[in-house]
Order: sequence, then C-alpha cells, then structure tokens
Amino acid sequence: MIKNFFKIAWRNLIKNKLSSSINIFGLTLGISVCVVILIFARYESTFDTFHEKSEQTFRIVQHNKLPNETLYWNTTAYPLAEALRNDFPEVNVVTQIAGPVNRIFKIEDSFENENLFEEPNVLFADNYYSKTFDVEWLAGDKNTALKETASVVLTAKLAKRYFGLSSNNYQNALGKTILLQSKDPLTVTGVIKNPKGNTDHQYNMLIPYEFFKINNPYFSANWSGNYQGTTYVVLNEASQKIDFESKLINWKKKYLNPQDNKRISYHLQPLQEIHNETLYGASPGGYIFPKNILNISIVVALFILLIALINFINLVTAQSHSRSKEVGIRKVMGSKRSHLILQFVFENAFVILFAAILSIVVIQGLIQLLNNNLTMINLKLVFQAIDLLYIALAIFLAIAVAAVYPAVVLSAFKPVQALKNKFNKPVNSKINLRKALVTFQFGMVQLFVIAAIVLAFQMNHFKNSELGFHKEAIVITKSPNYEKATIYREKLLADGGVSKVAFGSGPPMAVNGIQLGTSYRLPEQPEEESMDAEMKIGDLHYLDFFNLELLAGRNFLSNKEVFDEFIVNETFLTSFGWNPSEAIGKKIQINEGQATIVGVVKDFHNNSLQYEISPCILLNWTYYQGNAFIKMSDSNFTALKNIRSNWEDTYSNAIYDYQFLDDAIAKEYTVENMVFTGFGIFSILSVLIGCLGLFGLMSFVIAQKRKEVGVRKVLGASLIENISFFSKEYFHLVALSFIISAPLVYYFMNLWLERFTYHIKLSFWMFLIGGLSTFLIAMLTCSFQSIKASRVNPITALREE
Amino acid sequence: MLLQLNNIFKWVNSGGQRIFLLKDINLQVEEGEFISIMGPSGSGKSTLLNVIGMLDGFDEGEYNFLDESVHNLKEKLRSNLYKEYIGFVFQSYHLLDELTVQENLEMPLLYKKVKGAERKAMVADMLDRFNIVGKKDLFPAQLSGGQQQLVGVARALIANPKLILADEPTGNLNSQQSEEIMELFKQLNTEGVTIIQVTHSEKNAAYGSRIVNLLDGRMI
Repeated sequence: MIKNFFKIAWRNLIKNKLSSSINIFGLTLGISVCVVILIFARYESTFDTFHEKSEQTFRIVQHNKLPNETLYWNTTAYPLAEALRNDFPEVNVVTQIAGPVNRIFKIEDSFENENLFEEPNVLFADNYYSKTFDVEWLAGDKNTALKETASVVLTAKLAKRYFGLSSNNYQNALGKTILLQSKDPLTVTGVIKNPKGNTDHQYNMLIPYEFFKINNPYFSANWSGNYQGTTYVVLNEASQKIDFESKLINWKKKYLNPQDNKRISYHLQPLQEIHNETLYGASPGGYIFPKNILNISIVVALFILLIALINFINLVTAQSHSRSKEVGIRKVMGSKRSHLILQFVFENAFVILFAAILSIVVIQGLIQLLNNNLTMINLKLVFQAIDLLYIALAIFLAIAVAAVYPAVVLSAFKPVQALKNKFNKPVNSKINLRKALVTFQFGMVQLFVIAAIVLAFQMNHFKNSELGFHKEAIVITKSPNYEKATIYREKLLADGGVSKVAFGSGPPMAVNGIQLGTSYRLPEQPEEESMDAEMKIGDLHYLDFFNLELLAGRNFLSNKEVFDEFIVNETFLTSFGWNPSEAIGKKIQINEGQATIVGVVKDFHNNSLQYEISPCILLNWTYYQGNAFIKMSDSNFTALKNIRSNWEDTYSNAIYDYQFLDDAIAKEYTVENMVFTGFGIFSILSVLIGCLGLFGLMSFVIAQKRKEVGVRKVLGASLIENISFFSKEYFHLVALSFIISAPLVYYFMNLWLERFTYHIKLSFWMFLIGGLSTFLIAMLTCSFQSIKASRVNPITALREE
Repeated sequence: MLLQLNNIFKWVNSGGQRIFLLKDINLQVEEGEFISIMGPSGSGKSTLLNVIGMLDGFDEGEYNFLDESVHNLKEKLRSNLYKEYIGFVFQSYHLLDELTVQENLEMPLLYKKVKGAERKAMVADMLDRFNIVGKKDLFPAQLSGGQQQLVGVARALIANPKLILADEPTGNLNSQQSEEIMELFKQLNTEGVTIIQVTHSEKNAAYGSRIVNLLDGRMI
C-alpha cells in the first residue's frame, strides 16, 4: 500500500510541474527563512551561556542616582574586585577586566625585521579570568600565565599572525617578547583558542590586569568613577544573588565616601542576561541584541512559515477539483474514507519532506551569507545537529496543518458528485476558508511591507536628519601626541585638498562608544547635587570646524594644561534655568576642576538619535585631544593619500588608521539597521511567497473556469472584463487584508518608534504606499494568469464537455 | 432474488417546489438477469442506477438487496454492501490517469485487502481473459476509448461482483467498439453475472433480457 501511495505521489508531482514546483519552492523558502531566523535568535539569546560556571556568574553593575536621573553603568570602580575578594572569601571567584582596548605592538620577526601591528581587541584580564570564563589553552600553563605582570596570552589567530605558528607548534610562541606601544616588553606565556562568536568578550589578546593597574595608578585606586573596569563574581549557587546584593548595601560604606555611598548602589546582573538587556548598554567591544527584538524575530519567523503553509493549503485544496474524480472512483472501488485521508496525507507529506530536505541546503547557504555580511557583529552562526530539530518541528507543523486539512476536505467528497465533477460548494457558510486564508496571508504580507517602509523612513531619518553640525567629507585620524598636533596640522593644510583641521576628544556626536562623562554643579552646591554631563575637549578651531553656532559669548582664547573656560550647550542651561547670555561668566564645578562659562552653543546632537541631547560641556584643555578632524575640500577625497603620508611622517612608530565621520555615525545604528535590513528582506520574501501562492491559486481557479471564460468570450466579453472577472475576488481580499493589517502595524510601529527620542511620525501615506504596492503586485500576479486564459480560443474550452 | 425496490421516491427541493427525480419505482431483479434501463434525457435513468448502486440515497420507499433492508442500513454498512457485491462501469470509463492498466485493475483488490501474490494472480487472470496483457504497463491516455472501457469492465469484474451496473457504457464509443463491449456483457451474463445497464440505444438494449422504460422519474 505504501508503495502504491508513493507511486501516486510521485506521478502527481511530475504531472503538475507548475504547482509542484510552486509548492516545493514556497515551502522550502518558508522553512529555510523560519529556521535561519530561529538559529539567529538562538545564537543571540545564548551569549556567554557556554561557560561552565555561566549560571552562577554575575556582572556587578552600578546604579548611579543623580538629582535629575539615574544612570545605569555596566562598569564599576577598579578597586571593587580586590575589595570583594578580600571581604567575601565565601564568594567563589571575583574577576575584573578592562577593555578591550586598542594597542600597537612592535614585534621582531625571524629576520630581525621589526614589524608594527595594531590590535583593536586587547583585553586586560586578571588571573581569575580563566576560572570564571571558559578559555581553551593551546599552550602555556593556565594557572600561572597571567600572574607575571609583563606577560601576554595570545589567541591562535595572533600567534599565527605574529609568529606564523599553526596548531602543531603553538609551544614555540612561549617565551617570545612583544613590545607594547614600542616600549613595554611583554613575554608570551600562553596561546588560547579564538573566542567563540556568541560571547561579548571578543578579545584577541589577554594582558594581565596588574599591568593595567600599574600604568593607571589614579584610576585603579579611585572608587568614585566607573571608567572601564568590568567586575564579575561567581557565586557558589545562583540563588545566593539576592542575599549577596543585600550584603553589598552595608558593605560599600566601608569604601565609598558618604556622597558616593548615597549615590551608588551595586547590583548583580546574571551573565546570561547581559546580551539581551538594554538597560546597562553594551560593554566595550560588544553589542546588545534587545530581548523584545529577539521575540519579534521569532514571531516573524513563525509568520513567514505560516504564509508558506497557507500557500500550501490553498494550492492543495484548489487542486482537489482535479482530484475529485479520483476520490469518486476510489470510493466506488471500495476505498474507505480513512484510506483516502491516509493517501492524501502521505502525498502532501511527501512534498513537505522534499521541501524540508531542500531547505537543509538552503539554510546552510543563508547562514553563510549572513555570516559573511554581518561581520560587524562578528556573527558566527553554525548549523548544528539540533537545528534538524527545528526543521523537524516545521515539518511536523506543516504536516499537521497543511497535509491533514486538505486530505480531510478531499476525502469528504461524495462519490456521485465527485464523479460528476460537481463541487461541494460550501453550502452553509458564506465565509469560504480559502478566502479567509488568503486574507490572513496578505494581511501578514502587508504587515511586513508597511513595517519595512516605516523602518526605511526611520533609518533615513537617522541618516539624514539635521544634526546641528557638519559631518560631510570629514576624516578622523588619531592624534597620539599633543605636542606634534600643530606640526601635523600645518602639514595637512599645506598639502592642499584639506580645507580645515581641528583637534579634540571626539566629534560632536559620540561615536565608537566613547564619550567622556563628568558631573557638574555650581561651586556653592553640595557634591551630591551634581548632575551628569558629557565632557568634550576641543581646540580653538573646533566650533568653526563643525559649524557649531554660538548663541552667546565667545570661543576659547587658548587651550591650557589647567582648563579655565567652558562652552556649554543649551540643554546644559535648562538645569539652572538660565538663558544664554545669563550663563556667560558663571562658574561651574566639574569632577576635573572649576572654570567659567565663556560661550553657549546651539544644541547639536551629541548622542545618536535614539537618545536625547544631553548636557554637554566643552573644555579648553590640552588633555584628551586624541583625535584629529580633517575636512577635505574636494569630493574625490584626493587628500586621503596626503593625510596618510603626513600622519606617518609626524607620528612614526605608530599605525595609521582613519575613519570617515559619517561612517562612524552610521555605525551607531547597527542594531536598527539590522532590524531594517531584516524586515526589508522578510517583506520581499513574504511578498514573493504570497504571490507564488496567489499565482498557483489563480492557475487552478482559471483551469476550473475555462468553460465559463469560453462562454463569456463567445458572448462578447473583452480582455479587461475577463481579467476583472477572475481577479475581482482577490482584489477584494487584498483590500480587506489591508484594513485588518493597517491598525496592527500602526500599533506595533508606534511602539517601536517610541523607543527613539527622535523619530518620524507615522503618516497615512506610508500605509498607502505599502498597501498599494502589495495590491499592485497581487493584481499583476492575478492578471498574468487571467490574460493567458482569456487569450485561449473559446472553442477549445467549450469543446471539452 | 437479487434486489427489490418498493415504492421508491426521490426528490429535490428547488425554489419551494418539490421536484421528483424518481416517482414510485417498483422493480424486482433476479440473479442472472440482463436489464436495460431506457428513457429520454432527464428521465431519471442514471439516478435510478445510482440508487440501485447505493451511491445515492432516496427519500421514501424500501430497497432490499440480498435480503438486507438497504433503507434501514447505516451509510457505512451500505457502502460495505455495494463494495462487496456491485461492480461499476462508467460512460467516461473513470480510470485513474496516474495509474497503469495493471495498477488500475489492482486498485479495488488493494481496498479489499487481498494479499499481494493473490492480487497479482487475479490481475494476470483478468488481463488474460480480456486479452490486454500487452497493454498492462500503459497509462489510460495511451489507450483507445474501446480499450479503456475494456479495462473499465475488467476492473468492475475483478472483485467477483454479483451485479454490474453500467451507466451508458458505450456512450463514448464508436459502433464497432460498442458492439465488442456489448458482446462482452452478453458473455458475462451467460456466465452468471447480473447486469443492469442504462442506454439510449435500442440496439444495445436488445442485448438484455428485459427493458425498463422511464419517463419523468416514472416507470412506464
């Protein structure tokens, strides 16, 4: 019997080539996209869960209560780890890291040539690091490797790059020396495996934390700031979290001064939640994939599978017309209904399985594509054996929904009617299931399309909004040495192609995750009333360079080693209720010292557009002027070459690197861009799958109504009339689905947009564009088939009976 | 006696009116008979055949088949009854296009759960008897109309039915093919199979032993 089923399934597949390939292609696409999204979602939700002690590990985060707001910091004061270790011996492990940071190394190769290497992912980690996080050692002793201050542990990748080593001779790296910033010799004490993709600790090199401490004595003894130290504790049991948190409340008094004690509270954040929690922001070198986007993506995955399944159901039930004769014959020949159900389920399951097997191949391709294109988040998706389970689930769902239902419908035909090809039209219900499914399907398709359009406008808003400063044709290079800044500047300007140069801590909008923070108050205010502000350092050309507009006062007169002048933004003034001219001459105290406000600039976006403009203070300081901003005067950027040679001339012993400001700004929207790209792709796919289904459906509807078309043509119907005769019904359905989906999209897109401080307003025409374009594509799909049918000579259609 | 219809009525309601398809049909069929049902289009010939074949129900009256009261039987038992004792032959053959001749013949046996070896033997026997061994691997579309109907009759016979119901079995065939099929029926009848056929043709009706005439659902 099974052999018989198989034979018939195969012959039917071959016979109906068009509908078979639509079915298989649509389903393959649906299953593949669904599973890839699930794999991606799993990847993003399992960051750092692979460590052996992952469940007991917590990051210590710091809530910083200021008069105007509470700040949530993922980094803590540096001395915290040591103090915890001393006072809580019962805690399993305490470890602290700093970075990853960017450093330059000088390494001598076997021919005694000195080569410079820039390494952006240098992590300072203490000897407890590998007791907390899983690190696989390829060479060296894991217990002692990070004990000596002047040591370094390389990943396999760097061992290969620096010394040309490979898996069989990593031992040879041990004992070699590399020069940090060309001066501090570090001895290689270990080689470890490259970190996995789904960890927020993307290091290429580990340097003992002790080394960092010795070189940064001020920070490493300061309890007030947060700087860059990230502290982790491993508790004996995850359940001790609350208990431990409450102990910290009393304990911190011992170290924090009274103001800080009031302001700062410590909390434990489970390691496994870090990657999906937006409250504390991304750690250096990492990114956050918010939980709600994760959930949305899973829903999207299921929706896409559903769209594909609905196609399948519609096509199979539409085909039932051509199978009705068979049902009749088989019933008359003695088949039971259960037998027929079994046969049709088998047939459908056969197609589903075929699609599922194909999708395994497609999934691999898609994963590769994603990995190659999402290098900015270091994506390393792998197809694992467990993913077959996802496919199996999809198959199960598909068979349950899309194979059984049509089989039940088909097998219910009464033999006499079936043989006469009389259709059991739904007598008692006006709502035909197929129509309902098409409506639902196109509702989802329009949901995706409209969402993608709204996202596109929001992305455009991010990219093209007036930021309040110039960002075009600006290159940022490092300026590692303040003394040489003037020479560099003169060289740049002398060479041509460069119109302006300025130096400062960073561009007006904070990029690359770097923003200097401070707190400010009037000198007469007590310290606990300090508020949080961004601190920027700029030279005398900074305002002019970025075209920041002075509302009152003047520019700096000079940069000094002890700053004495501030320029503040408008938002800063709101905390004191001053107007711009009132503010001039006022003295302000910040963490780093006191100075007088000499100027007020018009607000510019100092944060990316998801966030509000925050109080910002510009200092006339000579410190922290680590970046050079260079404005190129011609659109071909011919100056780039000169900039490089000038830079290398000025700062020998360092590695040149540059970045365009607008690129750096665009990077601030990585996650938003991913969501947008995702929705763009999904909406195209959903339109494709939906229209495939419609196309297949139309071909059956038309096959059934061939005679009717023939009659209509004989009676004088025109082409257009014939098209509208076929398509009218589906036009109505697509229009109806728009009415259903529009309010849903409105609701969800509002929710999404509200997360951003600066967002577009949803307007009627965005919905209109989405609805109309879906409608048009659906119409084209319908018309294509009906035109074909209307062209047939009516005699051929009529002769058949 | 094979079957007996007593006062059978069948109607449909259309626009508040009751339209009779069959009106007070009384028919008795003995084993070994060859009956032709005749009448103009719309007189209820096919409906009567479907009622006899239990493919269609009726609204009033009694139907006894081999001493079973069909009108009292549940749908399932009724279909078991016709599956066991009745073979059908159709005007448009109704062979399954996706199956070969051999597979078409085998299909009813599959549903009767006949064992594989026995099935093969029965199919081979039938192919032999109808002289279509050479065509066993062809699909219906590759056969002429007459050959297709030959397969149709073979399929109806393969499960050894007591009664064959044929709805215009030669309606789609030319005169020579028609004659062959009718000769076949006649031969089967002499071998003991009861046959009821619906036909328009006087010539075909002449092959039978009795003619039943219908007009507007009534026997005349």
